[in-house]
Amino acid sequence: MNNTILQVSELKTYFFTRIGVVKAVDGVSFGLRKGECLCLVGESGCGKTATALSILRLVDSPPGRIVGGEIQYHAEDLLRSPVSRLRRIRGNRIAMIFQDPQSSLNPVFTVGDQIMEPIRLHMKLGRRQARDRALHLMEQVGIPQAKERMKYYPHQFSGGMKQRVMIAAALSCDPEILIADEPTTALDTTIKAQILDIFRDLKQKKDMSILFITHDLGTVAGIADRIIVMYGGRIAEAGSVLDIFDQPKHPYTRGLLNCLPAISERREKLSPIPGVIPSLIDPPEGCIFYPRCQQRMPVCQQKRPEEFVISGKHIAACYLYA
Amino acid sequence: MRRTGGIFGGRRNLIFSGLMLVLLFIFLLDLFVVDRIFEPFTYFYLFFAPLIIFYGVYPLYANRRLTRYYWDRTKRHRLAVIGLGFIIFLVAVAILGPFLTQDPTQVDFKNKNLPPVGFSSEQSIFDRNTGQLITTETQGTWRHPFGTDDKGRDLLAMLVSGTRISLQIGLMATLIAIFIGLIIGVVSAYLGGWVDNALMRFTDIMMTFPFFLLLVLIVFLYGSSLWFIILVIGLTGWTGTARLVRSETLSLRTRDFIMASKSLGASDRRIVFRHLIPNVMSLVIVIATLSIPGVILAEAALSFIGLGDPTVTSWGLVLHAGQRSLDTAWWIAVEPGIMLFLTVLAFNFLGDGIRDAFDPRSQI
Repeated sequence: MNNTILQVSELKTYFFTRIGVVKAVDGVSFGLRKGECLCLVGESGCGKTATALSILRLVDSPPGRIVGGEIQYHAEDLLRSPVSRLRRIRGNRIAMIFQDPQSSLNPVFTVGDQIMEPIRLHMKLGRRQARDRALHLMEQVGIPQAKERMKYYPHQFSGGMKQRVMIAAALSCDPEILIADEPTTALDTTIKAQILDIFRDLKQKKDMSILFITHDLGTVAGIADRIIVMYGGRIAEAGSVLDIFDQPKHPYTRGLLNCLPAISERREKLSPIPGVIPSLIDPPEGCIFYPRCQQRMPVCQQKRPEEFVISGKHIAACYLYA
Repeated sequence: MRRTGGIFGGRRNLIFSGLMLVLLFIFLLDLFVVDRIFEPFTYFYLFFAPLIIFYGVYPLYANRRLTRYYWDRTKRHRLAVIGLGFIIFLVAVAILGPFLTQDPTQVDFKNKNLPPVGFSSEQSIFDRNTGQLITTETQGTWRHPFGTDDKGRDLLAMLVSGTRISLQIGLMATLIAIFIGLIIGVVSAYLGGWVDNALMRFTDIMMTFPFFLLLVLIVFLYGSSLWFIILVIGLTGWTGTARLVRSETLSLRTRDFIMASKSLGASDRRIVFRHLIPNVMSLVIVIATLSIPGVILAEAALSFIGLGDPTVTSWGLVLHAGQRSLDTAWWIAVEPGIMLFLTVLAFNFLGDGIRDAFDPRSQI
């Protein structure tokens, strides 16, 4: 277990909707080590965001409910901590950044106020010190003329600048873990690169652990240490960046990589994975990827595949490797 | 909290709480030890004036750029500006008027039924010498520019007094209603589930409740008083606000910034007070402006049918008095009618202007 600071085990988050139970996260386990960047990758609706929200117990309830599992953070199980304790962890020890910077900021307060909010909630700092700290954070995430911009309202900022503000707010209490839920999806490519630089910096200089969620394998390549590929609320494949990119094992991972345009080789056309994600309300028996899989076998339809170890930390939930 | 520096040095909440504590202390002293330090109305003002100054006027002053933006947008509505001007005039009349006019309750039978300046009317007067009714022509005088009623009371003084009463009722009943509606709406939408269900069904019941009957009952049991009217209108008039605020909050609640603020460790209370309420305030201000005329009309209607407070001279009461002599002295009923008409119109115009200014979707 060496320096694992967050251990998620058999996490199950279900959504109880009118038409049935959606098993958004169905038995996911992984560990996050100090100073590493772990990426959760998958299509929309595969349970990435639900996993991230479950860690901080932010799943909207109703309809959502975490029905099972454990989330060990240091010595405590976050799923069994009282809410008051959880509030002291949120934003303080574990912070989160959301996908859409346009709507993640409260339109009626200045950005300075919003960066100061967690500082004043968690750190015992006076007003002036909190402001100095907010100023420092804004400079750190690359907002020029921070002193002036503190007094601006969110609508006076561009999307990239708003995301920087969100990052500054998330970093304000020096959290141990940063959960970033598709932080670059709503941004254009150049801004995306700059934001990724900030994350890389955080990892190296502050030894921060980052749980990075994205659907874009291209983004992952530059920042991740380890990758978890999710499909239908379960882990399809997990391994180091090299494992996943050089020797993808699970047919789904291969399918994802085939969707990427490559500069080095000339491909006539990209090959998408045929079909769509099956409804998670009534998932097929056995492997959820079965209906779309190119290499399916009779056994896949009968029983859900467990996670088979390929080598060391590289695992794949596929009967090809049984 | 929201601005460092400024006149209050960023300690606005603290100063406000301090003032309110002092007020509470005086109130308790008034209640249990000394009698009547202030009138009930004064307490009301002492509570709401700081509230409006600290959380209404001061933010406008502190964010001059934003204030300017809203003013520019409101200004595009010509009628809204005229309405605002008229309301400011009414407020000035309500505050200063009673000191400048004579006592509105003072009767003077020698000068009864005088028409307004510039008008004349025929009056039948009992002549003592002949013992007969004779008809004479009376002219309006500058002593009573708006004329007098059938007991010789000065109509100008009565209208000025009515202005004060109407604005007081409109403001207070609306503030009470808005306050209740805001809290119920936000809490209902934010907590959801059975709390939402219970509160909304309660709102439905209140909506169908005939508040008029309640008022008749209260008047029958306790006699009529301005305070009962204000309380009954305030305590029954919040239902529409609650529903509007609830629907607005429901859409706000799903916005990412609520989740983001939760993820940074904010408590439910903090989210309601710092994130939800400030975001529905623009809606609430519009509802308040647009519901003041309704309240004023409701009070006038009550007074008109004789359920008003008989001890205060309100526009409705003058209307009530005037309807009996419409054929001989039309001005008694017409003058308060015009005042009501203009006041309601002014508030509606202003409300429309503010709504367009606050609504980012309407690019006028």
